Amino acid sequence: MTRRDFSERDIHMALDGELPGEERMAYDAWLEANPEMRAKSARYIADRAALRAALAGVMDEPVPARLRQAVLGEAPARTPAWRSRWWLSAAAAAVLIVGGFAGYVAGTGGIGREEGADDQLAEQAIAAHVIYAAEKRHAVEVAASDKDHLQTWLSNRIGLKLVAPDLAAEGFELVGGRLLPAGERGKAAMLLYEDAKGERISLFVTAESSEAAKGTYAAEADGPEAVYWLDKGYGCAVVGSLPRERLSEVAKSAYGQLLAGISS
Amino acid sequence: MDDKRAAILSEIPRLRRYACSLLRDRDSADDLVQDCLERALVRLDNWQTGESPRRWLFTIMHHLFIDQMRKVNRRGEAAMLPLEAGEAQSAPADQVETIASREILDALQAIGPDRRAALVMVAIEGFSYAEAANILGVPAGTLMSRIARGREELRSLLDDSSRRRSIRIVER
Repeated sequence: MTRRDFSERDIHMALDGELPGEERMAYDAWLEANPEMRAKSARYIADRAALRAALAGVMDEPVPARLRQAVLGEAPARTPAWRSRWWLSAAAAAVLIVGGFAGYVAGTGGIGREEGADDQLAEQAIAAHVIYAAEKRHAVEVAASDKDHLQTWLSNRIGLKLVAPDLAAEGFELVGGRLLPAGERGKAAMLLYEDAKGERISLFVTAESSEAAKGTYAAEADGPEAVYWLDKGYGCAVVGSLPRERLSEVAKSAYGQLLAGISS
Repeated sequence: MDDKRAAILSEIPRLRRYACSLLRDRDSADDLVQDCLERALVRLDNWQTGESPRRWLFTIMHHLFIDQMRKVNRRGEAAMLPLEAGEAQSAPADQVETIASREILDALQAIGPDRRAALVMVAIEGFSYAEAANILGVPAGTLMSRIARGREELRSLLDDSSRRRSIRIVER
């Protein structure tokens, strides 16, 4: 029988069938002599059993037709726009967890696949933010001092009733807005906000959205982040370099007000 | 139907189980499997007959999963916090989940994607450390530490959720 010191690491190896057979007896003896380690091992075994049980049902389900067809080559080829968006669900789950977005994201009926328009919208919104939020004097075409005109003008251009959200409670004041291209031929309104420290966020609103799509989230490596939604007839993104939770809060407030404005 | 396709077809239940452990939403999990199958079929020549398609397919699926997770959420691991009960994404109606399995699947979702994949690969899918390290493309030592941390994280998440449950009962 081999003699060596065992450690927590060996609990995992034993559990995963990676402990050499000749060490097994010595390991069992070690476990027997260490109640704390024994409890840990028992707990891991129980958790694994629960996990296996929770996932066991999937194995017995009939294979969905679309997956069979994918293998047998009977499925019509999917166009890039129809690419699945399972990973957005993963990202949205992160938002649910981080931002407490559960209410309205879950409220849209869960996250599924959607058109490619979602990340396109976010990318355009981020690109616009990077360019214009950095401009000190020429960030906007129409300043907040002319708010009524700004709202009427942008509403007419994008074809949506745009009411600039009041984000004072979140510490942001409207700087103004501008008109931008969106999608292939569409238009978007960009509203720029600034807080007391000069931190800027922008709202990007467009009517260029043909599909009802679900709330989700996109992140760039180091740049600003966008929180965005698409629905039939409108899409909007809130972009900024705020800490994620703060951005989520601001976005939530902005989105609620935009939606109320559009349907008013 | 040729042998290769038949062999791939028989791996679908396992691929779906793995996808379900990676992604909580069932449709999204099947989308991931479909992406994996489509990519596999395009690269059918890369797979040598005689070799089990399992490792090959899991490698493809894992790459799809991890690449997208990294793209979408660079800070994923640190940002993942446990879901409050009831905040969890709703499971489809046709899927009956017991409280216990809901709880453990939610907890699994809350651990970092790298750790989740490593843990599931070994503890559920039954790959050896060597096989799993190969599929995940990491050294065996990294795999082991991910498994150990993943298990510990899962345990503490489950403890937290049962604590919350007992607090709720006390409050009632």
